[in-house]
Amino acid sequence: MFINPNRRSMLQSAACGFGALAASALANGAAVAGPSLPQPHFAPKAKRIIFLFMQGGVSHVDSFDRKPLLADRNGQMFDFLDARAFANSGKTKSTFRVMNSPWQFRQYGQTGRWISDLFPHTAQHADDLCMVHSMHTEGVAHGPATLFLHCGSTNFVRPSFGSWVIYGLGSENNNLPGFVSIAPSIGNGGPRNYGNAFLPAKFQGTPLGQAVSELPLTINDLTSQSRTFGQQRQQLDLIQSLNQQQIARRHSSDSEFEAVVESFELAWRMQSTAPEIVDLNGESAETLRMYGIDNPVTKDYGQRCLLARRLCEAGVRFIQVNYGDNSANPAWDQHSNLPKHADHARAVDQPIGALLADLKQRGLLEDTLVWWGGEFGRTPYAQENGTGRDHNPEGFTVWLAGGGVKSGSTYGATDEFGHHAISNKVHLHDLHATLLHLMGLDHQRLTYRHAGRDYRLTDVYGRIVNDIIA
Amino acid sequence: MMICNVPSCQRGWGQARSVGFAWMAWVFSTLWCTAAELPTDQVEFFEKRIRPALVKYCYECHSAATEASGGLLLDSKVGASKGGESGPAIVPGNANASRLIQAIEYKNLSLQMPPDGRLPQDVMASFRKWVETGAADPRTAPTENQAAKPKQTGLPVADATKHWAYRTVVDHAIPPLTIPNSTAIDCFVDEKIRQTGLFRAPESEKLALLRRLTFDLHGLPPTPAEVEQFTGDTSQDAYDRLVDRLLASPRFGERMARHWMDVVRYGESVTLRGFVFKDAWRYRDYLIESFGRDRPFNTVLKEQVAGDLMHEEDRHERSLQITAATFLTLGNTNFEEQDKKQLEMDFVDEQLDVIGRVYMGQTIGCARCHDHKFDPIPVRDYYAMAGILKGSRAFDHANLSKWLLKPLPVADELQQQYARLDTELAELNTRAAELKKLLGATTSKDPKQIPIEQLEGVVIDDTQAKKIGYWSESSASKPYVGVGYIHDGHADQGTKTVTFEPKSLPPGTYQVRISYAPGSNRASNASVKVFSADGEREILIDQSVAPPDDGAWFPLGSYRFEPNGQAFVIVSNANADGHVIADAVQFLSTEVAAPAKLPVTLAKSSNTTATPNPADTAKSAETPTESAEIKQRKKEVAKLDRHIKDIEAQLAMRPVAMGIEEQLPAKDIAIHVRGSVHTLGEVVPRGFLQAVSTAKPVELSASTSGRLEMADWLSSDRNPLTTRVLVNRVWYWMMGEGLVDTVDNFGTTGQSPSHPELLDWLSTRFQEGQWSVKKLVRQLVLSDVYRRSVIEPNQVAITTDPANRLYWRGNARRVDAESLRDAMLAISGELQYIPGGPTFRADVKDDYAYQHQPALRSVFQPVFRNSLPELLEAFDFPNPSMSAGRRSRSTVAPQALLLMNNAWVEARAKNAANRIVQETGVTDERHWIEAAYALCYGREPSTSERVRCEQFLNSASQLDQSSAARFLALEQLIQSLFASIDFRFLE
Repeated sequence: MFINPNRRSMLQSAACGFGALAASALANGAAVAGPSLPQPHFAPKAKRIIFLFMQGGVSHVDSFDRKPLLADRNGQMFDFLDARAFANSGKTKSTFRVMNSPWQFRQYGQTGRWISDLFPHTAQHADDLCMVHSMHTEGVAHGPATLFLHCGSTNFVRPSFGSWVIYGLGSENNNLPGFVSIAPSIGNGGPRNYGNAFLPAKFQGTPLGQAVSELPLTINDLTSQSRTFGQQRQQLDLIQSLNQQQIARRHSSDSEFEAVVESFELAWRMQSTAPEIVDLNGESAETLRMYGIDNPVTKDYGQRCLLARRLCEAGVRFIQVNYGDNSANPAWDQHSNLPKHADHARAVDQPIGALLADLKQRGLLEDTLVWWGGEFGRTPYAQENGTGRDHNPEGFTVWLAGGGVKSGSTYGATDEFGHHAISNKVHLHDLHATLLHLMGLDHQRLTYRHAGRDYRLTDVYGRIVNDIIA
Repeated sequence: MMICNVPSCQRGWGQARSVGFAWMAWVFSTLWCTAAELPTDQVEFFEKRIRPALVKYCYECHSAATEASGGLLLDSKVGASKGGESGPAIVPGNANASRLIQAIEYKNLSLQMPPDGRLPQDVMASFRKWVETGAADPRTAPTENQAAKPKQTGLPVADATKHWAYRTVVDHAIPPLTIPNSTAIDCFVDEKIRQTGLFRAPESEKLALLRRLTFDLHGLPPTPAEVEQFTGDTSQDAYDRLVDRLLASPRFGERMARHWMDVVRYGESVTLRGFVFKDAWRYRDYLIESFGRDRPFNTVLKEQVAGDLMHEEDRHERSLQITAATFLTLGNTNFEEQDKKQLEMDFVDEQLDVIGRVYMGQTIGCARCHDHKFDPIPVRDYYAMAGILKGSRAFDHANLSKWLLKPLPVADELQQQYARLDTELAELNTRAAELKKLLGATTSKDPKQIPIEQLEGVVIDDTQAKKIGYWSESSASKPYVGVGYIHDGHADQGTKTVTFEPKSLPPGTYQVRISYAPGSNRASNASVKVFSADGEREILIDQSVAPPDDGAWFPLGSYRFEPNGQAFVIVSNANADGHVIADAVQFLSTEVAAPAKLPVTLAKSSNTTATPNPADTAKSAETPTESAEIKQRKKEVAKLDRHIKDIEAQLAMRPVAMGIEEQLPAKDIAIHVRGSVHTLGEVVPRGFLQAVSTAKPVELSASTSGRLEMADWLSSDRNPLTTRVLVNRVWYWMMGEGLVDTVDNFGTTGQSPSHPELLDWLSTRFQEGQWSVKKLVRQLVLSDVYRRSVIEPNQVAITTDPANRLYWRGNARRVDAESLRDAMLAISGELQYIPGGPTFRADVKDDYAYQHQPALRSVFQPVFRNSLPELLEAFDFPNPSMSAGRRSRSTVAPQALLLMNNAWVEARAKNAANRIVQETGVTDERHWIEAAYALCYGREPSTSERVRCEQFLNSASQLDQSSAARFLALEQLIQSLFASIDFRFLE
């Protein structure tokens, strides 16, 4: 609906073929900008978002939300208002054993912020982080909560956050999709978590690889597996000249035919430029080391984070970097054996620290918003009085960094156990509204008419958390 | 869900369940005194503590100056006493019973205020004290505004007929014939064209017409032979005969069924956990048969809502009726919703939304939380209809609820056989249980210590388990695994647990068993919870009784475990009435289970780690002292178990369809205030939309849910919406645009019909013709309107009707996803037709990363919501979770990438090339090009196209004259024909 150029003359003048266009784009090393990008509602603070998705739900009381009371009351039984018990039976009181965090917290940076030993690398950037300790959300189980996180609804089919962003802002780089999800899980909503739902297809998120498969981190069908580059070029030229001849022999013109021609042109530019962008081989050994790509523990997430930086440089608007898997109990879901959190933290911490440092040193952190978090938090008490923690949608922490947020700030709080958010509560709808705001979009005006009604990401909810905006 | 303009709905606070506060009504009882009589100290307390807090924390939402969220005003006594939407909020003198206090103290997840955080402790305490002391309120200022009451802002029900769609269908006279041999449709259409000064495009060329018709009626291209036959046929009735031939083919039923599948959001799995609907295919086949046999569509419409409640004598027809109601169950349900009330209501909401759209083009879902903003659908009507649907059971509830399967009628003989098997199974289960108990009792006398090394599968002993709380070690009672067991000392119930978790467990299905060294002082209710991919399940075990398997093991059941997923067992002493024992847990893989008929000896001697059944697995626990009697019993148990499995397998063959089950006595339900299942308002009698009454209002008694009556109402000749909506859909399928452009929205926000008289005339004829879709299609495609060519608009057309709403020319049609795919397969000679039936294997458990069959006709490919075939998804296949009467039309780069680089597309091109080479002889490139054009486009290449294609073939094989290189060039040529405009758009 935004991009509707008449490019026919431009295409006709490009008689030397579409490959030539792509080649010039490559030679300049610059993105070919879209002809008319939709304008933000007001001046944006951030141009793009990197979302580090910690699938399964990181325990906030073991990472960023320090609760000394857990140590004092460790092992004691208390009544809690448990979200799962409440959903199942309406019970408002269940007795659970308070479980101390097995990790030590230390203070970091000028702010003296407390961060646990799970995230020593992230902690090096303590002063850059904006912590929101009072998150709460919808959905007690992973599936609904994950869909809510991405699409703002636990069960209705709705466009995902990234789709709304590129619907509102378009893509800075015409040769790449504006919204990518790196190594997404196929479970817990799967493709719906980067789906466009009823928005036009061009706002669909593009998956790069998959959570646990050996699939390369690249766009599907980006290149042919059975033909050489030269053969593909010849074939593209044939397709485009057939298209021109077929348009000419029809009795009527149609803007859709031009769109087909244009789609091949864009596809070819993607095919020519994207492989280089997703190829990490050009990065220095030092960079690879910094992201932990030389270490089997951090290799996977390191590659994803490094790829995110490259996509960020190339102008991709919304980049989701997934850490998860396809199971019903993904990665961080430590219902038992809480110490396993350490394995996951080890896999992501160094890459995240490296990404923050890298963005900073390249001046990208100023207009790139980094968002870290999961679909919910975990309970401060032991599930079934066992060795793990259950889901907790009533209170958890996300942190933001860069693009327009107050670095070193803390917002909101959970209760003294870290169970429920109690002050300056931020619902996930509110976070969505705030993130859109930082991108220059008014969540109440970013609507789409479908089936006779206007829809928006935040439904009828959402308030902007102005206090965290720099 | 939707953007509402109802002010109280606009306030952006958190989640739906916070809406719970809307319950609050400020019911002031007689205890409440007037200001004049209030004790000074209480007035002072109010002024000092309460009023400022109300101003600071509550007025933002609950005041006349801003809004009255939940209908509740807190800025004046009068306003407050009018109350909110329901339920007392303050019980003066009793803080605990006051919802206001509950809300501010955050004691209930669905009732928390203020929404952005708890009040300071001292403020909360003040409110509590204020209520305890009688909640004195000296405010006397009158309320400026009444509390917001739900207002009907849209078209009132009484005025419904002001909107065209709610008016009765009227039979219009056909306008005078001006062109000889025109059909009635043309008369209606041409009249408007004449009035606007437009001209009519001439009839399409024969080839274009043949391709258009074959794609429209079959979703396939005509074969070169069909092209030759039709273009060479100069007889008068050639076109009519073509139409009849195409209508008679099974391909027609398949094509129409797929259209309808879009409309009814047909899917064969759900997003969350990817559960597959093994029996949904019956509904797909039902549609294909119904369209193919041209069953009256009012019957089809009725059956889909209430087929299970209809009673056709004929067995096959009865089967169709039951299967039809699968329609109600195909939504993308969240079976793991923990709040089952919510789940049931979500299910009903989805059904209502879909029924409203599919049948009547109404957005009924808008009235779930408040009266419809635009259309004459009050919230009462919503819950009148919801009450009808709520009258049927749809789930077997569990942590992960399960949909219902309904047996289909089978031949009497088979029916008797199933009944016999049912009885036999019940008997066998009883006997097996008895025998196992007996075996347990006898073997338990046989004390033993079971070495871990002798056990199969993955075993976790208590020594490896994680203990919470103090557990004493013991080895006093046998049998036990390893060196002993632990017990809780029958103390501190609810504080001690033991977690048995394998270090790693290969994913798969396992039998899980636990051992506990039985004894008389043991708990009769020891809690054991198994955490698996399917959630958690608690089993209470009587540890004073010997376990059934070998006297050593208690079977906890069969569970699925995923890679990195949860896999552990927790023993807890919560509420235990005796000593709780934790000894060992065993995971036995059932993945490579031996077939049921495997002889016992073979099963026993096999060395696989997998185990056919639990009774056999305990062989390791056998000791030389085991008596012959016990051995005999074990054999018997094993035999019984195999027999049971065998019967279960036979019973699994019984045909079933997904459906719902009427529950009597039927009940009316209450309005859910703002759509919340936990906030109930007034109970409303079951009924239908008042704006669409077909007769006198029906009174629904307790002896019927009203679903059958609703189906009658929906499919009635007198329902003005249903026929119009359906006729418009068929028009849209054939003409590419609807008479009403918004095919799913006939409400006041939808488009008006371009030809209202024609729509009504067609609707009337359709009803007269026994709701025959085939007749309707025939009528449409025989019109001149359908046959018009796609031509360039002249100046008049550009200014008066650029969108061709008046059908002065044909519309350029985009080939849809399935036709695109099926056409490639037809051209490569691979397209696989089947008569129907299940199209994915019975052992498919979830739809994740499903590998689709490459050559199956698209309509038969399973519609998996997590794994749609790539090509379909890329070319605007509708989201199968939402009713989609109209597909979106996109042209995006990923489509181009797919056509250029996708391995499946390359393979089709390759096979088509093979076919051409075999049919034309390898050497002649000129013939290759001609054959490729004939197959792909049904025509010869133009001179310039021929030149360009030859140039391509030559240059591609310039460097390499080998036959392989030349073949590859042909392959690429065909793929290029697939990718270009003439393949993707019809003329």
